[in-house]
Amino acid sequence: MLKIYGRATSYNVQKVMWLVAELGLPHQRIDVGGKFGGLDTPEFLAMNPNGKIPVIDDGGVIVWESNAIVRYLAAKYSLGQWCPADAGQRAQADQWMTWASGELHAGVIGVFWNFFRTKEANRDWALIRTCEQKCVTEYALLERRLTSQPHLSGDHLTMGDIPAAGTLYRYFTMDIQRPNLPNVEAWYQRLSQRPAYREHVMVPYAELKDTL
Amino acid sequence: MLKVLGQPASINVRKVLWACDEIGIAYEREDWGGATRPTSDPAFLALNPNGLVPVVIDDGLVLRESNTIIRYLANKHGRDDLLPQSAATRAQVEMWMDWQATEFNSSWRYAVQALVRKNPNFQDSDQIDASIKSWAKHVQILDRQLATTGAFVAGSEFSAADIPMGLSVNRWFMTPLDHPTFEAVAAYYERLSHRPAFMKHGRNGVA
Ligand SMILES: N[C@@H](CCC(=O)N[C@@H](CS)C(=O)NCC(=O)O)C(=O)O
Ligand SMILES: N[C@@H](CCC(=O)N[C@@H](CS)C(=O)NCC(=O)O)C(=O)O
Repeated sequence: MLKIYGRATSYNVQKVMWLVAELGLPHQRIDVGGKFGGLDTPEFLAMNPNGKIPVIDDGGVIVWESNAIVRYLAAKYSLGQWCPADAGQRAQADQWMTWASGELHAGVIGVFWNFFRTKEANRDWALIRTCEQKCVTEYALLERRLTSQPHLSGDHLTMGDIPAAGTLYRYFTMDIQRPNLPNVEAWYQRLSQRPAYREHVMVPYAELKDTL
Repeated sequence: MLKVLGQPASINVRKVLWACDEIGIAYEREDWGGATRPTSDPAFLALNPNGLVPVVIDDGLVLRESNTIIRYLANKHGRDDLLPQSAATRAQVEMWMDWQATEFNSSWRYAVQALVRKNPNFQDSDQIDASIKSWAKHVQILDRQLATTGAFVAGSEFSAADIPMGLSVNRWFMTPLDHPTFEAVAAYYERLSHRPAFMKHGRNGVA
């Protein structure tokens, strides 16, 4: 059976779990990382020398790096749907994933770490403002993309939507300044109708507050 | 013909140029970014609103993100040796590419600004040391992987993962710092140097 290593509160684990649930794959998730620890054991490092979550073990196939895992599961179990079959469409989905884990991630996960997770006394406000501003720039790209279509990938969700869509719960529920983003907000509302998104992405994160 | 937008000293543009030569794709390149034409030009922003190079245009398809472009080109040209069709073996290549983009790349950022670009805003010696330390930790992870495969990042044969990783290793050796010894990485640098496309776009004197 497919095994997923990683705590449910990790954004990078959530991307994987959301897809696993959408695909209805039988699986077992094992809590490691954060308060559970276990990332520096020889057994874990033998799977992922980088010592991070998520990691999957799919019948002996070990994959780490959340986006690589999402692309693997989509290609293996859902070619033509969650992984577009056409080379050009597949590349565009890939591009949105890479963009989200670089540029968008720097903004929103930057705010999450430096503001939400960091105790007031330790906060670097200049850095928090830079991350907030990065959010403004990057979510504006999503806003524009969603003017003419319901998802980044077009009429249907694909792997290309997962990393960006996976940030929305945190972005819209953190106590921060946000610009007006009607299309992105409507997208978030549509996604939150999906049971898999609700269960695996809309995971309360209060326990991570002020832990740094 | 494939059009590549970006000036040739950019590490991410060099990944794409190397991939093109490795696959044997003819391309036409336009200078954008760095000291050439600014990417803040509206014509460029229309192609990539992030204002970053590289961008490629292939028969009307506009793509950005260097690693995405490498994967696209290998896939389109049926280069199973660079990017296997089988999901399981492909993932072994892709995860090292993603690791390069998200983890490895973040570790060197401060040190490269300080030591290569000599950027006056990046001269805090504690931060330089921290960046070098983190960078070396990532090179060590790569070293262990290469010691295991005995040859290339994802196995015994050259793959698409060796393109971002080869450029990263070149940057490591080209940056003036006290390099700890990583034997498998040093041997890998020499192994890659047998490839003309690496000598042209990778080990070409630029960090
Ligand atoms: N680039 C990696 C990043 C992985 C990562 O940073 N994971 C975090 C959780 S989101 C982690 O392992 N943190 C240590 C911990 O949870 O203890 C990926 O996309 O998988
Ligand atoms: N994630 C992007 C990063 C691209 C990037 O950072 N490009 C740099 C050059 S290496 C850039 O365009 N900088 C602005 C400029 O050169 O004007 C990729 O891999 O393609």
